[in-house]
Amino acid sequence: MSSLILTIRESVRYRGKSGHYSWIAHRLSGLAILGFLVIHVWDTANAHFYPELYAWSLALFKHPLFAVGEIGVMAAVLYHAFNGIRITILDFKPEWWIHQKRSATIVWVLFAVIFIPIGIFMLVEFTSRCGSLGAACWQFPRLSDFTG
Amino acid sequence: MTSATPTITRRKVQIKFNFERYAYLFMRMSGLALLILAVGHMMIQHVLNSSGNLTLIFVAEQWNSWGWKAYDIFLLLFAIPHGVNGLRNILEDYIHNPGLMKTINIILAIFVVATVIWAAIGISLFDPEAARQAAQGLPS
Repeated sequence: MSSLILTIRESVRYRGKSGHYSWIAHRLSGLAILGFLVIHVWDTANAHFYPELYAWSLALFKHPLFAVGEIGVMAAVLYHAFNGIRITILDFKPEWWIHQKRSATIVWVLFAVIFIPIGIFMLVEFTSRCGSLGAACWQFPRLSDFTG
Repeated sequence: MTSATPTITRRKVQIKFNFERYAYLFMRMSGLALLILAVGHMMIQHVLNSSGNLTLIFVAEQWNSWGWKAYDIFLLLFAIPHGVNGLRNILEDYIHNPGLMKTINIILAIFVVATVIWAAIGISLFDPEAARQAAQGLPS
């Protein structure tokens, strides 16, 4: 346990100059996407294997909890994609390593410029849908309503 | 800044087959593919469409075409191995017991194969007509 705390504390402690925050963000966004992806893939396969169960999960994913998560996944995918391009380019272009810090900043700016309008769009869409549903928006769908 | 610029040495040598080297290259290449496939998927399904009005009927319409089925199968083939290999890279940074790491690698490999096969079968065999039938009488 103490080694876990040490790992986390030392991972977060900024050592500077090498896009350390980019490295942390890349790992965390990757883990977040993977966690979502595994659920999403096995769930989507149910569309063929257990359509009723799939229909229930689609209803479940309209819950505010998942709507917020969806915006989070969008952020994670966009950051991971842009930072991934940076990593790949720098891997094949060692002569550009002197631009490490600048490239990390460019990725953060690019991410903000693209994610913020999309995030607002998704949030507005969700709040208007949820608002028109009223209290029903916060209710979890019952599995028994779908599987009979 | 001093005027000294770093010099870069490139070596061309034959090296033996090395799994980690191909795993590394796979991360870059699949990453490039996912830049189009995964970001495209997010934009199409979560911005242009919305999970707010996603239903079994909508899925049946989309997976009526082999184009969409192929898109999703390619996404699956790149995304699952990319994600699990990324997890493996992270775990290897923190787990220093080679025996444990080997066991984890085997479990992760089985998981990747099982997930890809199961989901690819699900997408390929998905029958839009059967899905529409199943959607009859379900709450929307």
